[in-house]
Amino acid sequence: MSGISNLFNIGTSSLFAFQESLSVTAHNIANVNTKGYSKQDVILSETLPLNGRPGQIGTGVEVKTIKRNVDLFVNSQILSSKQQLGKNGASQNALSNIESLFDDSKNQSLGTGLNDFFNAIQDVSTDPSNVTARSVLLSKAQTLTDRFHQADTTLTAQRQSLDQEVDHSITTINSLAKQIADLNDKISQAELSGQNANDLRDQRQQVVNSLGEQINVATVEDGTGQLSVFVGSGQSLVEKNRVHTLSGVANSSNSGLLDVDYNGGGTPVSISSVISGGRLKGLLDARDTTIPATLTKLDALASNLVSEVNTQHKLGYGLDGSTGLNFFTSSGVTAKSILVSLTDGKKVAASDSAAGVPGNNVNALALGNLQHKSITALGSVTLNTYYQTTVSDVGSAAQQASQDLEAQQNLQDQLDAQWSQISGVSLDEELVHMLTFQRAFEASSKVVVMADELMQTILTLKR
Amino acid sequence: MRVADQQIFGQVVSQFQQISQKTLEAQLQASTGKRVSKPSDDPVAFGRIVLDQTDLAQTNQWLRNIDSGTTRLASADNALGQVDTILSRIKELAVSARSDTNTANDRNLIAKEVRELHRELIQLSNTEINGQRIFAGTKTDTDPFVLGSNDTVTYAGNSETQSIAVGRNQSLQVTVPGDQIFTGATTNVFDSVKNLLAALESNNGSGIETGIGTLDQAITQVAAARGQVGALDNRLTTTQAALQGTVQLVQTSLSKDQDIDLAEAITNLTRQQTALQAAASSANALFDNSLLKFLKT
Repeated sequence: MSGISNLFNIGTSSLFAFQESLSVTAHNIANVNTKGYSKQDVILSETLPLNGRPGQIGTGVEVKTIKRNVDLFVNSQILSSKQQLGKNGASQNALSNIESLFDDSKNQSLGTGLNDFFNAIQDVSTDPSNVTARSVLLSKAQTLTDRFHQADTTLTAQRQSLDQEVDHSITTINSLAKQIADLNDKISQAELSGQNANDLRDQRQQVVNSLGEQINVATVEDGTGQLSVFVGSGQSLVEKNRVHTLSGVANSSNSGLLDVDYNGGGTPVSISSVISGGRLKGLLDARDTTIPATLTKLDALASNLVSEVNTQHKLGYGLDGSTGLNFFTSSGVTAKSILVSLTDGKKVAASDSAAGVPGNNVNALALGNLQHKSITALGSVTLNTYYQTTVSDVGSAAQQASQDLEAQQNLQDQLDAQWSQISGVSLDEELVHMLTFQRAFEASSKVVVMADELMQTILTLKR
Repeated sequence: MRVADQQIFGQVVSQFQQISQKTLEAQLQASTGKRVSKPSDDPVAFGRIVLDQTDLAQTNQWLRNIDSGTTRLASADNALGQVDTILSRIKELAVSARSDTNTANDRNLIAKEVRELHRELIQLSNTEINGQRIFAGTKTDTDPFVLGSNDTVTYAGNSETQSIAVGRNQSLQVTVPGDQIFTGATTNVFDSVKNLLAALESNNGSGIETGIGTLDQAITQVAAARGQVGALDNRLTTTQAALQGTVQLVQTSLSKDQDIDLAEAITNLTRQQTALQAAASSANALFDNSLLKFLKT
């Protein structure tokens, strides 16, 4: 039977419900700027009615649940986009560093060095007995070798710095994995007792996204709300509240650079080659593919320059009658090791006949013509063209990386917008909710007052 | 569609970033005047720029080579011009000495002047630029014409010529060896003067007559050599003109790949600035329209 006390109960239940609704609204407003926070909704529902006459009569309202607004599909798309974004970002950054090496604007590049070297040979050819021109040639040759060394040093240093980033990335991954495991624990405990771990889940999603920026990730959620995380080609990184770490191990067959090892219990295995996304992938690609390829090309350029120049130089005679000498040091030439062998300008073999003809420049002309020679070992192109191809290749790759990054960023922006439409907090919306709940709260309190007055009325009947 | 506040902020920020970046690029292009400053700006154009710069460096070097060749040929031409004058003067003296009205003493006096001129010829034939003898073939470090006893002059140079690079695997001769001009070919210039000297000093009329004949041959030979020098110089000049044309072409092509149209760049910069302002004022309007503004309690 429904009495005045039921009115009190109904009033109280709605006061509680709207107060709780206001709390959720306040929580939403408070987190309007929190990254990854999903808007929460209060789901209200009628309490169990009382049986009576002529039928059931209501007993008020209760908060059934507090639901977080998420779209799992959008979340999974964001995760995969983050992996691509991490990879593209790392590649683009590395390539733009590499291409700055070939920046010709200050005339400090290898290409300029090559041109200067061959021009100096021609200066010797126009005035073969001029010792100054010969000294200039040696110093230009020295500059050219310096340019090669500098290119090699820069690229090698870039590999080292990428290696440090790999190490840093591994540390980040381990720390994120630990956070996920901790959150797994908290979420399962909370949800075991029937709670909705809304905020904890938001936090975990954020951490998983951060992890995706570092490495390719696959996730599976089990019945207790705990997330299993797999990286590489399916290595389990997080399993409930347990973490398997990654570690960087120096690989002696790769100049001591770090391999990414997975410690899944037992012997650690290298997963460097199976990582397919995230920053780590971009870093490893640049470190182990792009830079070595460029270095190989520079090495080929150096070694062919040396062998061509030396072969021709040995045929000629210096001012002092010396012959059969190497211009550059000849064995095992790389961009790193290229060195000028001659120290005395008089020994530059400009002449094609023995001593006593200082005006003979036949060999110098032949040396100068090497600039136009198609070199079979370089794919039948000239030294300059080979250099140009190398630069263009790096340029194309850098341009491609920039465009990829931009495209991925656009996609990410769209996904973020989609996510916001579903999960983001709209202040206007919250303000309307706040007004609604506030008015409802006011009305509910009126119900309590009214019930009290009814009670007063009944109590005065006795008098 | 729900619009969340973070979305509004995020979009405004990302728009600002995009426009700012484009503004920065436009500013960089307008201030450097370069459209392509790193390989990734335009890999194809950058490749062409690298090759064009090589072409330019090479062509400028060839022009430099030609300058040095021209100098050498000009001084050869100058020296041979003087040789011609001296030989003509000797011939004049010989013609005046030919008449039998001249006494032995008169002819001796003339011989003295001819000897001086003979020495001057030797000096001219040993003309040098920067210590390099231009008539010595490739044996440029020592005087090619050496005076021995009895006015004999011997050639110590060689018959090699010197060439300079003026193009891809292309070279042009820039010296004429002295033996072709003075001692070789048809007649020996120094010998003809020497024989004339002997005839003058021995008061030998018919010898003087013969001397005048060989002197004529010598003059012709030197003139021919001078003509050759002129022809060589001519080829250099022609090549120079062609190369200068190439330099212009390459520079035009470089500029096309590398440089921006300034008007376009500045227009672009202005456009980006306008876009930035539009974004700023529209963002302002967006934030101004919150419900908060109307809820005054």
